[in-house]
Amino acid sequence: VVRASEFWFLVSDFWFLASPMFQVYLPIAEISVNLVVMLGLGAAVGFLSGMFGVGGGFLLTPFLMFSGIPASIAVATGANQIVATSVSGALAQWRRDNIDFRMGTVLIAGGVVGALIGVFLLKALREAGQAGLIISLTYVALLGIVGALMLAESIRAIRRARAGKPASGRKPGQHNWIHGLPLKLRFPRSRLYISAIPPLVIGWVVGLLTAFLGVGGGFIMVPAMIYLLRMPTNIVIGTSIFQIIFVTAVVTVLHASFTHTLDVVLALILATGGVIGGQFGVRAGQRLRGEQLRALLAMMVFAVAIRLLLDLLLKPSELFSIAPLAAGA
Amino acid sequence: MRAALSLAALLAIASAPAWAAEPAAGQPTPSEELQSDLSTREISIQANFTGIEILIYGSIDFSQTKAPDTGAYDVVIVIRAPSHPIVARRKERVAGIWVNGAGKVYLSVPGFYAALSTRPFRAITSDETLKKLGIGLNNLDLGKVSKDNPDQERFRSAVIRLKEKQNLFQQHDGAVAFIGRSLFRAAVALPVNVPIGRYTADIYLFRDGQVISKNQSTLEVNKAGFERVIYLLAFNHPFIYGLLAVLVAVLAGLAGWFAFRRE
Repeated sequence: VVRASEFWFLVSDFWFLASPMFQVYLPIAEISVNLVVMLGLGAAVGFLSGMFGVGGGFLLTPFLMFSGIPASIAVATGANQIVATSVSGALAQWRRDNIDFRMGTVLIAGGVVGALIGVFLLKALREAGQAGLIISLTYVALLGIVGALMLAESIRAIRRARAGKPASGRKPGQHNWIHGLPLKLRFPRSRLYISAIPPLVIGWVVGLLTAFLGVGGGFIMVPAMIYLLRMPTNIVIGTSIFQIIFVTAVVTVLHASFTHTLDVVLALILATGGVIGGQFGVRAGQRLRGEQLRALLAMMVFAVAIRLLLDLLLKPSELFSIAPLAAGA
Repeated sequence: MRAALSLAALLAIASAPAWAAEPAAGQPTPSEELQSDLSTREISIQANFTGIEILIYGSIDFSQTKAPDTGAYDVVIVIRAPSHPIVARRKERVAGIWVNGAGKVYLSVPGFYAALSTRPFRAITSDETLKKLGIGLNNLDLGKVSKDNPDQERFRSAVIRLKEKQNLFQQHDGAVAFIGRSLFRAAVALPVNVPIGRYTADIYLFRDGQVISKNQSTLEVNKAGFERVIYLLAFNHPFIYGLLAVLVAVLAGLAGWFAFRRE
């Protein structure tokens, strides 16, 4: 047991981490940040994403915004960071043969189109000075919905577990409206013969979100693949990570080229923290129960949404802002 | 090292006016002349850059002050970075949410501005002269404003307030100190977020409200080393920069996978 006084000794021992020695100047964001804080942020988000098995971009971008990084730089840099973390994840999935490459390619095709639209939308909003606002609003809506769904789902699961009933899975062989669509393709790895339109649309939405919010989009893609496409669950994660690598890579290049908001130094710091934190997260996650984990994640997602919403609703202490012309918020 | 050099320079100047200030009898009194320099002429912004203090020092040749601190002279120093257009916005409440309103463009706002003086500006010279020379934040010309607006003053003061908060606009009356009869010095802190470019330092010597001598020095602020490479790449070859960023991320991911893989 660590007593309070000992704890403060510990804290004071690490005070030096706040010294200017650990300040890193970010060449594109043009601000100076604390290396230890940013590594810690990357590690914390990596830990959470490893623990919960999610990409973590939807937590990283808001956290970057909370720590003073301009919204559009947080988005582009977040996308670049996800490339790094998803490469590790995809390799592990690929070795277990959990990737449907054909499905992944269709998802990527949709994703690239979405990414193009997202990047140009963000560029236009930036020039109008509204990027920060729209990014925050979209996050509030998205995190609010995702948090609510996850919370409801995990509460149901906890109740079921208490009642002693087994978790209900999907019923195989069921057909839905998706099977009526044209342009059918065979996906042998997923054992599916379905229209290419739904995966294209799913990919498109995810690409748009990646470019616009700096998220991988796994939290949308995974449920969509399970419930809409009815892909086998073991293939879903690997295929979604495969799509995420390519779409986040494309978004990184597009943002670098058209919005100039990519800060590679920040991305590398976050990725370093993220890759390390992710490993510990995976180990921690294995010791906790699934439903409780999801309830915990849902609450965290809600907390981020509420903080973003409060920032929009409360009167800011400074009403004015300045930005270089033709660059924006 | 740098401080030691500038101290040596100060001492060198300090010893000079002994003969310079006292012309031979019978000759007409030469008028005062300003000599000045900066402690640094080039600043390189690298990863470890956390801001820097520069020293502006100089002397008045042919100083006619009989004793120190008689206050016959005033020195005003104005340091500026290149100007760029900026847009200022004010948040307005729309449907309960604070939203940026329409922007007002200021066409030439210095990226950095500092005005330093021996005494309050208005005690040194007339408002007219201050305005003409752009001395003091109130007299700073921010360029043409995009359109007429009733809140002109509030926007202007907001721009100045925000720049002051970032330490990119500074004014310190009393920051220039005389040492003895003719030697003066002032220090200004450039913050971590200083923009790059060629800075100018205008040094004005005032007597009885008139500029009797002036001098200009320049200061280059550049990104250097790794920072410079990244900055140039990002803005001149953005596509390659993006590809490299992806490559670095892929390598980082691979490294992580190899480091932590459990066989």
